[in-house]
Amino acid sequence: MTKIEFLLALSERLSGLPKEEKLERLNFYSEMIEDRIEEGLSEEEAVAAVGTLDELSECEAPEHTEIIPEENPEEKTEQDAPKKEKKLWLTVLIACSFPIWLPVLIAVLAVALSVYVVLWALIISLWAVFGAAAVTAITVIIIGIVLAAAGRGVAGAATVGIGIFAVGLSLLFFVGCRAATKGTAFLTTAAAKGVKRIFNKKEEEI
Amino acid sequence: MDVQLKRGLLDVCVLAAIKNGESYGYKIIKDLKPCIELSESTLYTVLKRLEAAELLTVRTAEHGGRLRKYYRITEAGIARIGEFKKEWQEIMSIYRFVTKEDDVND
Repeated sequence: MTKIEFLLALSERLSGLPKEEKLERLNFYSEMIEDRIEEGLSEEEAVAAVGTLDELSECEAPEHTEIIPEENPEEKTEQDAPKKEKKLWLTVLIACSFPIWLPVLIAVLAVALSVYVVLWALIISLWAVFGAAAVTAITVIIIGIVLAAAGRGVAGAATVGIGIFAVGLSLLFFVGCRAATKGTAFLTTAAAKGVKRIFNKKEEEI
Repeated sequence: MDVQLKRGLLDVCVLAAIKNGESYGYKIIKDLKPCIELSESTLYTVLKRLEAAELLTVRTAEHGGRLRKYYRITEAGIARIGEFKKEWQEIMSIYRFVTKEDDVND
């Protein structure tokens, strides 16, 4: 190991110490290595003679542990100042980028609104399908009854059967429609609450 | 050996190594070698302690194109060596007393 390598490794090991003390130690060991080289040792031998990294970084360490002073209140206010400045700059930035973010905001709102409209249109169409199915089922039953009354008993019975089957399907469809409506309503209120929260937060921040 | 006692002995050894004129780290280690094997890290700690106690002063001087620290003993440092000699007389008499008791018992 060369002197530089050794000192770099030692510097890393001593990173827990205050900067000044670390530098002082490194200078001390550097001087020791140099003195040995001056006496005729090779660089490698001189480094080895000074001691291992473990020895130098751990030996007597407790004696040099320093209590880190408590953060004083002045520093805290200093930290607050940049925060305020940051907020100011953020406001300026928001104001200046107004021509950019306004169209973007409008687009986002438009997309959200269209998604909302499409969702409810879907629900309405589902109900329409249900309505149509129910009306058709009842109509088919009536036609069946009329057919039976007209003397075509078999055809009438079959038609009534189909009608009843259709009513069953309609009822199932009704359950589905109701669930879809409830789900969409829930989503809408949740989204509304979310938007409200975002705006409240922003107001608090500003 | 008791840590406190060893610490005191090391302090006096290093002070003795510089009592006849200022010296530098590596020279102190070499001069002490016949008496005690001192590691670099121990020497560093001892020197810091003695400096803090104002038993020695440090100056940095140029040597062969680099810097080297030289340590010079203070009046207080010389006084500390004197104290040690006196203390050691007491310790020796205690030692003689303790070993004499042993002789009687044996």
